[in-house]
Amino acid sequence: MNKLLRKPLQSAPTEMMGKFEKFNLIENPFPSSPYVNQDSTDQRINGKVYEIEIRKKELEQIENVFLKKSQLNPNHLRLGYIIDESYIGRGNGKSAFLVNLQQYINEDYCLDISNNINKCFAVYVVPEAGGRTKTFLSLVDLIFEAILKSNVIESCLAILRIQSINQLYPNRQLFENMNEEEMISKLSEIEWYKQNQIDYNDIANAILLNPFLQGLPADFPLYRERNRLFLNMTMQKDFEGYYTQMPGRGRERLDFVFSHLVQFFQSAEFNGAFILLDDFERIPEFQSARQKRDFALELRSCIFDGLYTSAKTGFYNLLMVLHAGVPRLISDAWAEAGMENRASFTPRTTSNHLIPFGKLSREHTTLLVKKYLSEYRIDTSNLQGTEPFSEDALSRIGEWSEYNAAKILKMAYDLLEKAALAEGVTTIDEAFVSEAKGVLVGDLERSIPKIENVDSTDLLKKASEG
Amino acid sequence: MNNEIKIAHKGFYLLEYFFILLRSIEKYSEQDKVFGEFKILKKQNFLGESKYKRKFETDEPSKTQQDRYHYTFREVIEEAKTYDLIEQDALSNLRLTVKGLDLLKLIENQGVESFNNYLFTCMEQKHGTFRSIIERLYAKNQYKPGLLIFPNYSPRQLDFERSNVKTVEDIIRYSHALTAKLQEDISSNLGLVKDMSPHNKTLINRLVENKLLPSSPSEDFNPIKYNVIIKRFRDFWMNYFLKEIYGFDIPLTTFDRWIYRGKQIGIIYATEFYPYFSGRIVYPTSVVVSKSASQDFNKLFNYEDGKSLYIHKPKWNDANQDKFVNALVTAYFDLRRTYRSYFINLLAMRELVCYSMKISERLFETFLDEAYKLNLADELKIKISLEVDRLPEETTAMYLKQEPVMVDKKYRNIIAINVTPGDRFDEQAA
Repeated sequence: MNKLLRKPLQSAPTEMMGKFEKFNLIENPFPSSPYVNQDSTDQRINGKVYEIEIRKKELEQIENVFLKKSQLNPNHLRLGYIIDESYIGRGNGKSAFLVNLQQYINEDYCLDISNNINKCFAVYVVPEAGGRTKTFLSLVDLIFEAILKSNVIESCLAILRIQSINQLYPNRQLFENMNEEEMISKLSEIEWYKQNQIDYNDIANAILLNPFLQGLPADFPLYRERNRLFLNMTMQKDFEGYYTQMPGRGRERLDFVFSHLVQFFQSAEFNGAFILLDDFERIPEFQSARQKRDFALELRSCIFDGLYTSAKTGFYNLLMVLHAGVPRLISDAWAEAGMENRASFTPRTTSNHLIPFGKLSREHTTLLVKKYLSEYRIDTSNLQGTEPFSEDALSRIGEWSEYNAAKILKMAYDLLEKAALAEGVTTIDEAFVSEAKGVLVGDLERSIPKIENVDSTDLLKKASEG
Repeated sequence: MNNEIKIAHKGFYLLEYFFILLRSIEKYSEQDKVFGEFKILKKQNFLGESKYKRKFETDEPSKTQQDRYHYTFREVIEEAKTYDLIEQDALSNLRLTVKGLDLLKLIENQGVESFNNYLFTCMEQKHGTFRSIIERLYAKNQYKPGLLIFPNYSPRQLDFERSNVKTVEDIIRYSHALTAKLQEDISSNLGLVKDMSPHNKTLINRLVENKLLPSSPSEDFNPIKYNVIIKRFRDFWMNYFLKEIYGFDIPLTTFDRWIYRGKQIGIIYATEFYPYFSGRIVYPTSVVVSKSASQDFNKLFNYEDGKSLYIHKPKWNDANQDKFVNALVTAYFDLRRTYRSYFINLLAMRELVCYSMKISERLFETFLDEAYKLNLADELKIKISLEVDRLPEETTAMYLKQEPVMVDKKYRNIIAINVTPGDRFDEQAA
């Protein structure tokens, strides 16, 4: 029989109640396993759903001490530590904070934040787990990767080209009704120049006259455009290729990232950059004492007082996230390398470069849960409520999660799943949470080594049998 | 086996008190002066009511404190006399005996361990208490040889907020939850089914009789008495376990004193901090047998019936090093599973390792120190990173509840372990 003509006995109902519809939710807004993965498309875990209010204090300190301070003053602070206050500090929202800080800075390259004093970009760097990022050079590789990922090089190329066009064709209105992305894309197409009767060779030559670009090595990617016979527009991928094919593994890379690239950024009117370094402890954890010291020395020379352009001008600023145990892990090396004097972990007076990352509070629990719920509401007319969670339930959730952001989210996820399946449950109140706790904690307890199940030496047997 | 436990003396004090008494008498002989020196040394050595509860003391102790010090002082004198460490003349002046002098020399020349062992010999010769406790421990739990549990749960642990516990009814609800939990623990740990509700009734009645609770269930009790009431619960059930479940016929305080002395000597382990267990656990780290077939035991004492007390004290050799490292790794990952951080609490880890290997805290420290040195020399199959987070004295906490761990001449309280891939441990695990 023709399967195209056959019908099932029952067809799907045209309208079926969604699992979370009774709570006015499209789906479960909470992550089932809360961690931050910047590259994920799911906004529950990529850090996009973020309640800025919770980390207002920390953000204000970073704004006042770093972002709003003129980067041209060589005396500005270049190194900051975001220090977690509890040493079992996983899932406190540090990664989410950094990812959002990066977006916040890059949104308008820090111009609005600083009242047009600074034009800076930010990159987010995480050392690789398991000790693969052990040396300073391997960290530099990651920093360069992060620069590529942020597409700031593309932006710079576009900015340089616009500068030259404005200089050579001052009266042309070429970019009307274009958004930033379109501009970047048009400016990298040779056809676009032809359509507008612009000789790209002139543009390329004008770019190379920029005072910041003088003294760059002859093979710097921008110089590809000098070849008048086979015109090759320089793209971001040329920088990538240049870096990966660099003959020397060491000094050349440092020169490139900390001097030549800095000049390039400066030519596009940037006066600073923020490197947001997450999970710093992954680096020293696997280093020997000597490796720690070498690392600190390299860092010092690249950021503070080496012969690099970045050190001379203070172009790169580093914000490091440290868990509470970490300062002691590296304090010896820091002292030996002279870093302790420049940016101390244990200053005698209150210091601006230390940004304590505090615990969440009862109110933060509500804010956090509210934020996630509001992103997944069906009826978006009122986004202020915490339904189906009652206030008491949120207090309990906060308390039992020890006010740890990741645990709060996980618990909210579990509770909502449970409530969705339970018939007739439309609110999650304290009683529901208390009842569910047994089950939630039960899950955890199964993985816990209980004393009645632990193997231990039987001394009587050992004494008699040897 | 003699079923009765021989007891001596009432006061709770640990072995250091003998040391400060002997030192004081070495200096003075008049009782008042000895007492003065005793107080100074007590303060210098941070000896509180118990070693595990270090209080900040004012310069001038109150009258009741003075009385308590004096009571302890007299108790230690009496006990020291029974071991012939000191003697008292007709004028009540105190003097060290030859034995007492020897003991002081011992601590100077050979350290605390030898001092403790010597005292242990004196005590065991006189009373034999340690032997009867250790034998009783082994007799009482066949499933887990020697392990006794004394579970206990505060209202908070059973989800009763203090602010919600106001009336007699609230207390009764807590008592029901507590009995249910204890019954569950007895069944899962000891395989016993007990109906504890009659005992619970007795306890509640007693609290009413003692005027700690009003007789009408709906009435509020005096909130100032909250802690006293909760402590009564704790003591009642500890006593219940000691007497009804384990059949010890001695007061709880006496039991406490001897097991904590045993812990100092290294023959018994007792802790209230075993991870994921609420309450106290006690188990022996020694055996009483005629002969040990294993090299890992040291003979501490010979009894008249031909048996001896052997302390479990493995040597630092290849086999034991492997066992220790494996125990470290297992404990580390057990704790990491729930805490999810690189660094975990070293003291919690010590509890797990000591129980799994049945060794003393001191031996754990020695072994960890050895392992750490090998690790620094890159001769260990795992990587150990020991750090200090915040030491007790750096926090505002006033009590030193657990002995700290000193490794490589520094106090440490957090530890991280890295098992490098492809090494021996992995092969074993596979």
